[in-house]
Amino acid sequence: MKPFQRVLLRGGAGLSTLILLSGLFVFLGNIVLKGLPTLSLALIFGEASPIDALFLKERVFDGLLPAIYGTVCLILLSVALALPTGLLTGIWLSHFGKGKAKAVLSLCIDTLAGVPSIVVGLFGFSLAIILHKATAGEIGPSLFIAATTLSVLVLPGIVRNTQLALEAIGLETRLAVTAMGATPVQAIVRVYLPMASPGIFRGAILALGRCAEDTAAIMLTGVVATAGVPYALFGRFEALPFAIFAIASEYAGPEELAQGYGAALILLLLCAGLFGISALIARRFHPDNR
Amino acid sequence: MKISISNLSFRYDSKTILNAVSMEVPEGSLTAITGPSGEGKSTLLSVINRLWRPEEGARVTGSAMANFKGITTNLLEPHLDLPSLRRNAAMVFQNPTPLPFSIYKNVSLPLTFAGVKKKDEITLKVKRALNRAGLWDEVKERLSEPATRLSGGQQQRLALARALVTEPEILLLDEPTSSLDAVSRDRIEAQLMELKKSCTLLLVSHSESQVTRLADRVYQLKGGRLERRL
Amino acid sequence: MTSRRRLHEWAGEGAAASAALVTFGLTLAIFGFLGWLARPLLSGETLTTLFTSVWQPARGQFGILPMIWGTLAVALPATLIAFPVSLGFACFATHLAPPRVRSLLKGIAGLMTGIPTVVYGFSAVFLLVPLVREMAGRGSGFSITAAVLVLALLISPTMILVLISAFEAVPRAWQESFDAMGATPEETVWHLLFPLATRPMAGALLLGLGRATGDTLIALMLAGNAVMAPADPFGPARTLTSHIALVMAADFDSLEFRSVFACGILLYLIIFGLTLLVRRFTRGPEA
Repeated sequence: MKPFQRVLLRGGAGLSTLILLSGLFVFLGNIVLKGLPTLSLALIFGEASPIDALFLKERVFDGLLPAIYGTVCLILLSVALALPTGLLTGIWLSHFGKGKAKAVLSLCIDTLAGVPSIVVGLFGFSLAIILHKATAGEIGPSLFIAATTLSVLVLPGIVRNTQLALEAIGLETRLAVTAMGATPVQAIVRVYLPMASPGIFRGAILALGRCAEDTAAIMLTGVVATAGVPYALFGRFEALPFAIFAIASEYAGPEELAQGYGAALILLLLCAGLFGISALIARRFHPDNR
Repeated sequence: MKISISNLSFRYDSKTILNAVSMEVPEGSLTAITGPSGEGKSTLLSVINRLWRPEEGARVTGSAMANFKGITTNLLEPHLDLPSLRRNAAMVFQNPTPLPFSIYKNVSLPLTFAGVKKKDEITLKVKRALNRAGLWDEVKERLSEPATRLSGGQQQRLALARALVTEPEILLLDEPTSSLDAVSRDRIEAQLMELKKSCTLLLVSHSESQVTRLADRVYQLKGGRLERRL
Repeated sequence: MTSRRRLHEWAGEGAAASAALVTFGLTLAIFGFLGWLARPLLSGETLTTLFTSVWQPARGQFGILPMIWGTLAVALPATLIAFPVSLGFACFATHLAPPRVRSLLKGIAGLMTGIPTVVYGFSAVFLLVPLVREMAGRGSGFSITAAVLVLALLISPTMILVLISAFEAVPRAWQESFDAMGATPEETVWHLLFPLATRPMAGALLLGLGRATGDTLIALMLAGNAVMAPADPFGPARTLTSHIALVMAADFDSLEFRSVFACGILLYLIIFGLTLLVRRFTRGPEA
């Protein structure tokens, strides 16, 4: 390879890296720079007293607390809904599934993983419509519907993660466990799941992050700009990503804009933090894996 | 005879691994199977605890019988209670594969699978198994430590304890000392000699000297055919 | 086995199989629900107007063609820009960067996948849009260009991670033989990695395209949202995804509303097709 070709290749790769990194730093740096100064109790609690607001004794009107609570409730509920089905499906794929059925389900998981979040949101919305008609208006777009929708969104990730974590268990270990007199279910429950649990836990953390950032799906299933802290499973709710979006679309002045930056920074820290925890788990339990 | 195998053929994927082999294993002895590697010694062993690898298309013909507490069991019976069989014919592999749990849990797992619930009963049996494997003194203070921290030789004795905890009548050993140093190997051989008094042992080994040291009866597996040598 | 244990086995396997069935059902249900709700629109006359350029719901015309063009105008350029950049990053992070920098770069790529889309969008609205307005000398800055640039940034980490794992899957032994032959890292990349990784590269490209097609927020926040066939890179466009988000405010039983379900089905089918292709390229012999 001629010297100048080598330089071109290395230069091109280095330049690409630089472009990507600078794009990243510029956009995120902007958020950090403009968001950091806004971080204050007032940003979160508005004019209410922090202690009272935290314990829901006082309503917060112009702070981010309702949105923060909303996001936290949403992601916990969503992942709680997705985990049982996701875990069991992952177990089925790695232990009980065979042949055609397994191939079809595998395709389903890949398809589900690629479906855009807004389309999943549409699905959630249609679910809400059906329930609305079925319960004569009692149920509509709400926290529960949004959580169900998000759980569909993160389900493929949990399934794949569980499947991979279980399939990583080597043949020698499996033979040894079978030779100990374990039935398939015993082996899974007492040995394989405990062995796979760091990986599964890590997948759950990543799912939490995915739910925290999603905006499109919740836009169609019950999130609103002002609803207070989530008061009922079937009520409207606020969430951080939607608050950010709403402020970007129409903000009534520099204070609201500043609030937008603050919210963006908080969401960024939340997602980065969750990702960091998952990376720590990966490092601690699988030191030889990436 | 503890185990009687007669005219057993094991065919997989158009390859004949075992060709009409016959073997008799007397109770309370150590019977060895030697021969070139990769020729089916492990397969023969795995017929007894029905552990052959779950690939489709293994065809087994002939007969294999084992005697458990006076009752004759047909090892090739399709609806045999396999977990129960494996508790009575326990296996030790070449690689110890300790599970990433505590030493205690590693040894007690087979009892959990067997449905033993009482904690005292489990602890008693674990202690007894570790003693019979020659590991108790070294780990009695550290039962809750991870088994992965033990040395290679200790891990293999742990595997032996794990096999002994269900008090099996038959012990199947597949090259148990091949990956160990001479000192660890000697320790395990000493335990095996002791165990002859309470179990029937079937040992696969490619080491002639080990077979000479330990075996009461020797078979050689070559080209799919089994021949008695001692 | 005791009958109790047999029951446990049966229950355990049953639970797993039921969950698998639910997952299967969900995949079909999404398509099914969307189809059912789009039904009124898919009958005769309105069906033909669906694929025209005219979006005049008041007059019963639901042409979503501009939105289809919009999706293409945003997703394709974004993928075409992101792919070489991601490829360069992946090469750099696995072979061409100084060793100590490599794990840092890989870590950053991983971290980037967790960054919320809406945060990029928010930042870009106030940073990039005015810049585009300046550079173009016209328009509001809410344009295809703005959306394409940010979208490229958004989908790059996904592609980078696929490429990195493809590069790292190349057997060490081969890389070492190359080194032993006196090859420079660049030569190893060009003559060993690239030829071996063409399939995963195609897979990564398609994966990125899928993500770009499915993104809602960037298009919604940055691309201007006017319903017109994209004609000007510095002008606005509306994608299928942002269309859905925008129309959701309309009255439910109207046909206008139901057009979003048609968009949804279209998106589902596009992604399904891309998924099949991606599996082809990344699974290899299995697929």
